[in-house]
Amino acid sequence: MSFALLQTFSEWHRSRQSHKRAWSEWDYLVLDIETSGLDPKHDHIVSFGWVCIHKGVIELDSARHIVLDSAQIGDNVGIHMITDSDVQQQGKRQESVLRYLRHLLRERVLVMHHAPMELGFLKHAWQTEALPSFSVSWLDTLAIERTKANRSQQPIQDGGFRLGVCRERYGLPDYQGHDALTDALATAELLLAQIAYQGRDCRLHDLNQMGGGRVRFTTR
Amino acid sequence: MAAIDIPEVHKFIETIPPFSSLTLPERKQLLMGVTMLYVRQGQTLTLKDEAATVHLIRRGACEIRTPKGGLVDQIADGECFGVSSVMAQNPDGLQVVAMEDSLVYRFEKTRFLAMLEKSEAFELFFEHTQHNRLRKLSRSQSNELASPALQLSTPISHIMTRQLILATPEESVQTIAMRMTEARVSSILVVENDKLSGIVTDRDLRSRILALGGSADSLVKDVMTQDPVNLRPDALVMQAQTLMSESNIHHLPIVDEEQRAVGMLTAADLLRHQELSPLLLINQIHRQSSIEDLARVCKQWPALIMNLIVTDMKPADVGKVLATVSDNLTRRVIELALDTCGPAPMAFQFLVFGSQARRDQSLGSDQDNGLMLEREPSADESQYFADLSEFICQGLAQCGIRLCPGNIMASNPEWRLSQDDWRQAFEKWIKSSAPSALLHASIFFDIRCVYDSASEQGEAVNHLIRAMQLEVSKNSVFLATLTRTALASKPPLGFFRHFVLESSGEHKNQLDLKHQGLALINDLARLYGLSCRTYRAGTLDRLEQAIREKLISVDTARNLMDAWDKLNDLRLEAQARHWQASGKASAYLDPKDLSPLERKHLKTTFSIINDVQDIVQQRFLRGYS
Repeated sequence: MSFALLQTFSEWHRSRQSHKRAWSEWDYLVLDIETSGLDPKHDHIVSFGWVCIHKGVIELDSARHIVLDSAQIGDNVGIHMITDSDVQQQGKRQESVLRYLRHLLRERVLVMHHAPMELGFLKHAWQTEALPSFSVSWLDTLAIERTKANRSQQPIQDGGFRLGVCRERYGLPDYQGHDALTDALATAELLLAQIAYQGRDCRLHDLNQMGGGRVRFTTR
Repeated sequence: MAAIDIPEVHKFIETIPPFSSLTLPERKQLLMGVTMLYVRQGQTLTLKDEAATVHLIRRGACEIRTPKGGLVDQIADGECFGVSSVMAQNPDGLQVVAMEDSLVYRFEKTRFLAMLEKSEAFELFFEHTQHNRLRKLSRSQSNELASPALQLSTPISHIMTRQLILATPEESVQTIAMRMTEARVSSILVVENDKLSGIVTDRDLRSRILALGGSADSLVKDVMTQDPVNLRPDALVMQAQTLMSESNIHHLPIVDEEQRAVGMLTAADLLRHQELSPLLLINQIHRQSSIEDLARVCKQWPALIMNLIVTDMKPADVGKVLATVSDNLTRRVIELALDTCGPAPMAFQFLVFGSQARRDQSLGSDQDNGLMLEREPSADESQYFADLSEFICQGLAQCGIRLCPGNIMASNPEWRLSQDDWRQAFEKWIKSSAPSALLHASIFFDIRCVYDSASEQGEAVNHLIRAMQLEVSKNSVFLATLTRTALASKPPLGFFRHFVLESSGEHKNQLDLKHQGLALINDLARLYGLSCRTYRAGTLDRLEQAIREKLISVDTARNLMDAWDKLNDLRLEAQARHWQASGKASAYLDPKDLSPLERKHLKTTFSIINDVQDIVQQRFLRGYS
C-alpha cells in the first residue's frame, strides 16, 4: 500500500471517527458580514465581525470587527453605522482580511446565520482577490432552526427565522446594535442555545445534518 | 489576549454593580479572557478546574446548592456566582443549577483576583455577597426545613412515574377500569396517534358514569377530560405544584415536545417529595368538616409561610401560593357555611379585595371581602345572607385570617350588595372627584371572585369589572384623582436622601416596608392597571399588562417589578424574623440591621418608586394639576 493511499485511508478513518466526537471538541468561527447590498455580483463587503468558540464556550477576546478600506459608505450609513472616517481610520484591505480568515478557518468550522448569502459574498470575494482554493465546513444556525421546526412540526411564521426572533425563542437577550460583530456574537450565542437544546451528547455530525455542509472557495 | 471591544458586552456590564463602579480601562482589563456559556434549564455546573471562578448571569436564573443539595441562594440576571471559589482560595464545592436557560459570562480567575486587589469597592461588594451567601448557607444547614426533600427546583422528570397506563378513545370504560385496578393506579392516559388526547381518573368514573347511572360499555372518549392540563418533563416541581393547586387537579400528565405522553405526576408523588407543602395543606383544608377542624389545620399556616421563605422562593411566588391556599380555605369555609345555613335563595358571588385579590398576601394579612347578590334581597333573604356572611367571616378569623379593622367584610351590610348596587358603588367612586372618597375606596379596585354559586368562571363579577373599566375609560378625571392619591405618599427618601423613619410609637426609628414602599408600588400598578383595556388584579400582572398595551416602557416596568420583589423579599424576611422571635408578624425593618450595601440597594429601590411617581404625574396628571 502506498503512503498516499495510507494517508487517504487514515484521513477517511479520522473523518469517520470524527462523527462520533462531541461538538465541543471542535473549534468554531462564527462570522457575520455586512454588505452594501444583497447581490454578491454587484455589491461588496463592508465589514466583517467574528467570534470563536473553543471547548464549548464563546471566547469573547477572539471577537473582531474589521471594516474594509474599499467600503463605500454612501446611503447605507444608517444601517451599519459605519462612517467614512471609520473606513479611513481602520479600513483594512479585503485581501489581507480574507487571508487572515483563511488562516483562522483552517482549524475551525465556519458558522453563519443564513449561510447562502454570506457564502455567496465570500465566494465572490475569493475570486476577486484571486486567493488559493480552500475548503471549509460550515454550519447555518438558520437552517438548523428550520430543521428543528420541521421535525417538531411547529410551523413558524414568515420572519420567524430572523436572528432576533430565533434568539427570543431561547430566552436570549435582545441586542440593540446590528453591526457585524454584534450579529456574530448573537449568532454564536444562538448556536450554543440550539446545541444545549439538542442534549448533552450532541455531535458536530448531528448539527451538520440539520444545517451544514462543506464549501470550496476557488479562484475560478 | 486582547481587549474585548464588544459594545453589547460593555453596555451590559457597565450597568451592573459592582462592575459599574470600575473605570472603562479597568473594565476592559477585567473582561480579558472572559468566555460565555449557555446552560440549559436543570443542568448542573460544578465549579471545578477552569470553572472555579466568578460567573455573571447575563440572562437567566440559577440556584446555588450545597453538595448535599441544600438550597443556598437563588440568583438571576446581573448576579454572580462562584465568588467564594475565588475569594476563599478553597472551593467550597457548591453546585449551581440552572432554573432557567441561562447565558453566563465566565471571568478569568487571575484577572478577577487582580481586580479585587486593585479596587476596594469592588472587593467590598463581593465580600458582602460571599458573607450573605455564607449566612444563607448556615441557615439552610441549620434549618432542616430546607432539606433536599423540599427542593422546589427539582425537575419533574426526577419524581414522575414513567410506567404509564394507556388507553385509546374507543375502549370501553369497563376495560380501562379493569386495567387501572390491576395496575393499582387512579388515572389512565388516553392516547390517539401517539399523542396525548385525554385523561380519565377514578373520580371521572364515579361522577361521569356511576353517579349518572351510565353503562359500563360507555366509551372512554365520552368520559375523558379532553386535552388535559400538562407539563414538560423539564418543568420544575414548583411549577407543577402551583399548576396543580391552581387548576385543582391531582393528576398531571407529562408530555414531550411532540405531545407524546412520557410520564404522570400525581399529588401523591408531590407529597412524597415534600413534607409540608401548600398542596398538602390545601388537601387537608378540603377534607375538614367543621370550622374547629379547619382552624386546627390552619395552625400550620405560619410554618408553611416560613417554609416558603426559608427555601427562598421568589416573593411573587410566595404571594401566589398563599393566595391559592387562602382561596381554597375561603371556598371551604363558604361550603361549610352553606351546609349550616342551608342553600342560598339566589345566586351570589364572594368577592375579595386588596391583598388577597392581588395575590400578595403575607403573614398576618387581614380579610377584605364582600358579597354580590343576584338581585335585591327580600327581608328574609337579607337575613339569610347576614347569617351566612357572619359565619364566613368569623370562620375565616378562627382560621387565622384576621377580621378587617376597617370592617370591609361581607358581614357588614354595606358590602353585601346586589349586582346593580355594586355597579352603582363603583360608578359613584369613579365619578366622585373627591380624593378622600377614593383614598378609602381604592382597595375595592383590586377585586377578584373566589366563589361563585352560579358559574365556575365568575361571570357576574367579570361583568362588574368590565362595567367598571368602561366607566374608568370614559372618565379621565378619575385617573387624575387616583393619581393624586397615589402620589400623596412619597417613598422615604429625605432631603439628603436619608431614610425618613417612623418618629414615634412602638416602631420608632424603623421603616414600614408595607406602607412606605409596597403600597406605593401597588398604587402605581393599580393606576396603570385601570387604564389598561384588560383588567388584572395582581401588581406584577398589571405591570406586565401595561407593557403589553404599551402604556409603560419595558425598562420602567421592570425596574418597578424588581423594586416590588426586593421590598417584598425584605418584608417576608423581616416578618419571618419577627415571627420567630415574638410570634407576631411585623413588616417593620430597622435599617441598622442592614449592611451599608443593603441600605444602598434599598435607597435605589425607593428612588425607582420616586422616578415612576414622576412618570405617572406626567402621564395621568397633565392638564389636571
